[in-house]
Amino acid sequence: MAAFLARRVLLLIPVLIGLTMIVFAITRLLPGDPARLAAGPNATPAQIEEISREFGLNRPLPAQYWHYATGLLRGDFGMSIYSRRPVLTDLEAYLPATLELVVAAMLLAVGLGLPLGLLAAIYRDRWPDMLTGIVSLGAISMPRFFLGLLFQLGFAMELGWLPLSGRFPLDEDPPPHLTGFLTLDALAAGDFHALGVALQYLALPAIAMSLSPLATILRMMRAATIEVLRQDYVLTERALGLSRRVILLKYVPRNAISAALTVIGLYFGWLLGGTVLVETVFDWPGIGLYATSAVLTQDFMPIIGVTLCIGVLFVLVNLLVDVAQAALNPRIRLR
Amino acid sequence: MRAMITKRGMLAGGAMALLAGGAAREARAQTRRTMILASGQDIPNFDPHVATGYSPSFALRNLYDTLVAVEGSPPKLVPQLASSWTVSPDGREYVFSLDPAAVFEDGSPVTAEAVKYSFDRLLRLNKGNVWMVAGVLDAGGVSVVDPRTVRMRLVAPFAPFLQVLPWIWVVNPKIVEANKGGDDGQSFLRNAAAGSGAFRLKRVETGNLYEFEKVAKPWRPNGGNLTGAIWKIARETSTQRLMIQQGEAHIALDLTSEDMDALKDRPGVRLVMEPDYRTFQIKMNTRHGPLADVNLRKAVSYAFDYKAMLDVAGHAVLMKGPLPEGILGFDDTLAVYRTDLDKAKEYLAKSSSPEGGVTLTMTYVSGLEQERRWGLVLLDSLSKLGIKLDIKPVLWPEFSGSTASPATTPDFFPIYETANYADPDNLAWAGFNSSRNGNWSNPTFADPKVDAVLAAARAETDQAKRVALYRQFQQLVVDDAPDIFGVLELRKLALRANVKNYVFSPVASNVIDLYPLSLA
Repeated sequence: MAAFLARRVLLLIPVLIGLTMIVFAITRLLPGDPARLAAGPNATPAQIEEISREFGLNRPLPAQYWHYATGLLRGDFGMSIYSRRPVLTDLEAYLPATLELVVAAMLLAVGLGLPLGLLAAIYRDRWPDMLTGIVSLGAISMPRFFLGLLFQLGFAMELGWLPLSGRFPLDEDPPPHLTGFLTLDALAAGDFHALGVALQYLALPAIAMSLSPLATILRMMRAATIEVLRQDYVLTERALGLSRRVILLKYVPRNAISAALTVIGLYFGWLLGGTVLVETVFDWPGIGLYATSAVLTQDFMPIIGVTLCIGVLFVLVNLLVDVAQAALNPRIRLR
Repeated sequence: MRAMITKRGMLAGGAMALLAGGAAREARAQTRRTMILASGQDIPNFDPHVATGYSPSFALRNLYDTLVAVEGSPPKLVPQLASSWTVSPDGREYVFSLDPAAVFEDGSPVTAEAVKYSFDRLLRLNKGNVWMVAGVLDAGGVSVVDPRTVRMRLVAPFAPFLQVLPWIWVVNPKIVEANKGGDDGQSFLRNAAAGSGAFRLKRVETGNLYEFEKVAKPWRPNGGNLTGAIWKIARETSTQRLMIQQGEAHIALDLTSEDMDALKDRPGVRLVMEPDYRTFQIKMNTRHGPLADVNLRKAVSYAFDYKAMLDVAGHAVLMKGPLPEGILGFDDTLAVYRTDLDKAKEYLAKSSSPEGGVTLTMTYVSGLEQERRWGLVLLDSLSKLGIKLDIKPVLWPEFSGSTASPATTPDFFPIYETANYADPDNLAWAGFNSSRNGNWSNPTFADPKVDAVLAAARAETDQAKRVALYRQFQQLVVDDAPDIFGVLELRKLALRANVKNYVFSPVASNVIDLYPLSLA
């Protein structure tokens, strides 16, 4: 297990080097001049030249990459040419909001997807199966941003049950900063009012984001459960007199969950990279919005920083999924 | 039994704590008068000598003070840190007397030394709004006469000098020096303030919101009742509209015509639609390609369907020449191009493409729906001359980068330009002086006569003579037809009805001065 983990962490190094090289090259190949943009509409040629020199944009591409890569080793993600803030500081500010949203969406997707998938398999071809099938199809087909807008119209504008956008009421002080997750910070401060409010703000964007993975997990769990239910050992367990409840709640899920777990890992990365639209609709201040504004201003360092950040998280989550699979199913050996 | 009592006690205690917390929150909410402004733009930097753009200008205007300020419509200059000033007859020397009441947030007085320090820092860093005084003030140009008097000696006479001063902020040298670091305090001032403004920075949530709190004793007289303000970033204009509608924001700054129509007659909402100094024009490549021919440019200018453009614009008025209506020197009698197909064909016959038959290119900034629609109006107009138009959406970096040389500049190039200060010099120089060639504000147009008139106008101190020079400038530009002069879209702001004392100003109209405002 330890050897497996060490190898996977080591494997991260070439993956990240490759990632930085590709993103670095792509951002530099885009047409346009970031120094000219950063200098502002009225800048003199001398000012533009000065910014180019300051950010090393006038140096050859390999030299620029080498400077960036050696900086990374020191924990320096570079500086935004537009805001002149260190990218790391920005990532620290934006990432917790995105992670809170993605984790909430995944908790909803897993928490509802797995039991509903099991239910659909048990009641195969009966109304619970049909109903979850129709709802899943709808959830997968509907774009997340559109669902977000529908939720805003329905639950915020018409019914007034939940807030329209944002992360916390503007005229209230948020809980003291500890993790950047407002829900956890509120809990840590023992402020249950703030916790309730943070959950209200989290609800609509998290639900909008969760529906697509929820539907996929549900369908995967259903298919895997149907497959497991056909296995001989289930018949043997029945013959041995184990109760239906024990079989369905203890032995079947452990064997069926493997496929769903793989999807969970993949979806986590997919949600991280795809929060842009939901964050835009709900004005959720996360890395999706940060990346969008960086792309629009051709701000290289934040673009590479966000990509690296998502890359690292994606690899780590998939590593966790592998470990979880091994823990749940002893037949899988981590080598 | 004991356990039950403990549980009950805990529950009661928890409920009491919740109630107490709720009551405290309620009390705080009642004493707070926080104005919420919804804007699509982040405030990337708070350094007054580095940051540019309307969102940082809003923050800086409220965190810092300037020698003079601009307010009202038509805009007029009013004293701020300087209670009075004199200008030498040759227009090169300005002497400012500072208001003795002016103090920084830490209570120390705003001195002539602080003013000199601020201008020197702006010139030394060579960033931000330094372009406003580039070639006008040099190092050593600002000197201290006594603690309350500062003198500025210009390199050359610059008539709009007072007009640029509302955008050059004065910092507290003591605080900047204490946090100077290795970059002249830039790292420190990126997310902190060292000013004498009525507000201080309370909360920074990058990319989400910035909260300002009124200082204990603002030195300026006649303030409103606000205790603070929040700049909330709402990137979609539809979100800004919903925030105003729901009462979640007091002022929305980036609304479209469609948003304004949707908000019309909504209870509790006040709409402001006023002309401001923000022009829209379709620039033509006067140096490369078929439009280098003045006759073809005139043919295009006559063929263009101005009425369709106005219809697309919604709440707007057509421009009459290169300057916005209402600005100093604007010539209302100027004969400009209006749709006339016969004249268009007459000029086309004189051009190098007498039968049309050419394909021209136009790029616009992807996502700017109005520009796309105006492109379609142009396409339709040109088809009547047998000219085809290839319209291409690109991202802003590519758009602005393409203007580096005439060969890479497209044939048609639509742009908005906003006046940073209330003087024709700003838009005229940026849009038509040849020193701006290669920049998106004037990629290709160069005319020595126009350059000479603009240089004379910025150096002239007699207002009547300046007006005459700007009239000459407008005629010269119209004769050469380098732009399709487009529209002045009305500035569109929505306010909740309880916002009091708001006065519109056409200069940087979305850079709102919070100090006089109140919430009823």
